[in-house]
Amino acid sequence: MTTARPIAARATLRLAALMALAVTVLSLAAMALQYRLVEIRLMAAQQTLLTADLNGLAALYDQRRIIALRQAIDYRATAATGEEMLLLMDRDGQPLAGTRQDWPATLAPAGEDFTSDGAVEFSEGNTRWLAVARTLPGGFPLLVARSLQPVDDTLAALRRGMLGLIGALLVAGSAVGWLAARSVMGRINRINALADQVAEGALDARLPGARSEDEFGLLETHVHAMLDRIENLNRATHRLSDTIAHELRTPLNRMLQKLAKIEGQDDLTADLKAEMRQAIRMFDSLLDISRAEADQGTGGGLVPVDLSATAAEVWDLYDPLAEDKGLLTEADITPGLRILGDRNLIAQVLSNLIDNAIKYCAAGDRLTLTLTPHHDRVLMRVADTGPGLPDDLRAEAFDRFTRAERDRNIKGHGLGLALVRAIAARHGARLTLPPTERGFALEIRWPRLQQSD
Amino acid sequence: MDRILIIEDDPETAAAVRHEAEALGCATDHRDTLAAGVEAATTGQYKVIVLDRMLPGGDGVDAIARIRAGGSTAMILVLSALGRAANRVEGLEKGADDYLPKPFEPEELRARLRALLRRGTIQVLDNDLLAFGELEIRLKARTVHVKRNHVPTSPKEFDLITYFARNAGQVVTRMQLLENVWNLHFDPGTNVVDVHVGRLRRKLEEAGATAIQTARGEGYIFAPLSA
Repeated sequence: MTTARPIAARATLRLAALMALAVTVLSLAAMALQYRLVEIRLMAAQQTLLTADLNGLAALYDQRRIIALRQAIDYRATAATGEEMLLLMDRDGQPLAGTRQDWPATLAPAGEDFTSDGAVEFSEGNTRWLAVARTLPGGFPLLVARSLQPVDDTLAALRRGMLGLIGALLVAGSAVGWLAARSVMGRINRINALADQVAEGALDARLPGARSEDEFGLLETHVHAMLDRIENLNRATHRLSDTIAHELRTPLNRMLQKLAKIEGQDDLTADLKAEMRQAIRMFDSLLDISRAEADQGTGGGLVPVDLSATAAEVWDLYDPLAEDKGLLTEADITPGLRILGDRNLIAQVLSNLIDNAIKYCAAGDRLTLTLTPHHDRVLMRVADTGPGLPDDLRAEAFDRFTRAERDRNIKGHGLGLALVRAIAARHGARLTLPPTERGFALEIRWPRLQQSD
Repeated sequence: MDRILIIEDDPETAAAVRHEAEALGCATDHRDTLAAGVEAATTGQYKVIVLDRMLPGGDGVDAIARIRAGGSTAMILVLSALGRAANRVEGLEKGADDYLPKPFEPEELRARLRALLRRGTIQVLDNDLLAFGELEIRLKARTVHVKRNHVPTSPKEFDLITYFARNAGQVVTRMQLLENVWNLHFDPGTNVVDVHVGRLRRKLEEAGATAIQTARGEGYIFAPLSA
C-alpha cells in the first residue's frame, strides 16, 4: 500500500520532466535557427568588408600598379587594427609591404583578379581569417584577409547566452514540475489514503471537506459514488443473510417447539431433531460462506489471534474422539504464532478438517496436525492416511455440495471444504492440496502477524 | 417470585419461553416491540430478560447498552434467529450474558434460564474450595480429590469439572459446555463434548465418585451424592 506512493510521484515527475524537456528542445531549435542566421549575416558582413578592401586596392593598382599597392599597404599596416591582414611580396618571395613578413603556410595563391570570389577561411593561432590570395601579374603574391575574430566573439557570446538560457529553462521547468508534482501528489495521496482505509475494511470512510471544481474534485466524487455503491451492496448482502436466517429459523423454531410436545415416539422425534440440526448446520455454513466471501479482502472484524493456542484447543477437543476411533494422532504446534483473524472462524476451519479426517479414516490410520512458521506465513497442515480424495474430485473439492459417490453413507453436506476455502480467503490465507502418497493433506498458509510487542 | 421479561415478536416463541419460565416458577411479562421492551426493562424489576434481535423497532442487541444504562441489573439472554458464530460472539461482546440461537430445544432454554437465575443470586463463588461430600475441587491449585485421593485431570478436564461444579444440580447442555468450557460458538456437528465428559466421568468413578449423570436428551447433571 505504501510502496505505491513513490511510483505515483515518479509518474507525475516524469510528466513534468517531459514537459520541461519539450519546452527546452523547442527553445533550443529556435535559438539554433537564430544562431545560424546571425552567423550567416556576420560572415556576409566580413565578406563585404573584404570586398571593399579589395576594391580599394584594385583602384590603386589600376593607377600605379605595384608601387601604389605597396604604399597603400604600408600605410594601412602602420595603422593596423589587427582585424585585417595584408601582405604583398615580390617575385622572389620577399615581403614588400604588409602586416606580416611571411606567407601563411596553409594558403596557396590562386588567380590574379581583385574580386572576393573564392575567398577561403584559414586559421592561424586562435584566429580564423577570411582570405583572398592572388598572384598579381608579374608574379607578385598578394594576401588580403579579414579577421573572423569579431564574428567568433559575437557567436561565442551568443552561445554563452543560449547555454545560460537553456540552463534557466531546465531549472524553471524542473521547479514547476516539482511544484506541480507536489500539489498533484498531495491530492492523489488523499485518495490513496482513502483507498487504504477502505481496503482495511472501513467501507464507510470518505474524504472530508468540500470537493474542488476540477478534475480531482470530479475524481473524488466518482470514488465516493463508487464507495457508496459498494457499501450499499455489502450492507444488502449482510441484511439479506440476516433476513434469510430470520425467515427460515422462525418457522423451524415453531416446528421444534411442537416436536417437543409429541410424547411416546422418542426415537422418531430424536431423528427429526437431528435432521433439523443438520439442516441448520448446512444453512449456517452457506451463510458463513457467503458472508466470508462478502468480507473477503476487507480486514474489518479481524483481530490478533493466537493461532497456536486456537489450534491446540480444537485439537484437544477432537483428539480423544480420534483416539477412541483408533486413529494414531500427532500434533506438532509451534507455540506463540499469531495472525489477524476471527477465532471462531479459524476454529471452524480446524473443526471441519479434523472432523472430516476422523469421519473418513479407519482404525490404524494416522492423523497429524502441524503448525509451523514459514517465512512471513504460518503453515497449517492437516494430513491423514485415510482414503483421500478420489482423483476425479480434486478439481472441484472446494465447490459447494461436492461429495464423492463412495461417501454416500457418511453423514455430511459437502460444504465443509467450501467453508474452509471461504474462511481461508477471508483471512488472506493460501490454501493448497499437496500431493500425498496416501490419504488426504491440506495446507493453509496464513499471513503471519509480526510480533510488535 | 423471580420475574422474567420476554421481548419477542413471534407469539409462538414467546409462548414457548413463557412455558419454560413458568415451569421454573417465575412470573413473566411479554412485550413485542423493542421500544416497549426497553421501557419495561428499565422500569420493572426483572431477574432475566429474554431478548430477541430482529424486532419491530430494531436489533435487541443494540438496546442492551440502553437497558443497562436504564439501571437494569437483569441477566440478559439473547434468543435470536441470527445464530451463526459471528452473531453469537457479537451479542456476547455487546453485553449479553448468554446467547441462544433459534430454533432452540425447550430443554436447552430451560438450562440456560436456570443457569442465569442462579447466576443472578449466587455471585460469590470465589472461595478456593468447592466441596461436594467426598469430592473436593481446589481452584487455585487446580486439583481434584476424591476421598482424599488425587484425581489427575487435564487442564480442559479441570475447566469442565469446575463448570459442572458451578452449576451443580442443574442440567448442563452440550452446547453450554462447548460455549463456556471451549469458548466455541458453533455447532461442530459431532457430539465431540461427550468423549470429554465420558473420560472425566470415568476418572471420577474410578476414584469412587459418581458425580456426573446423563440427562437423556438434554445434557448432563453434576450431582455428587453427598455421603
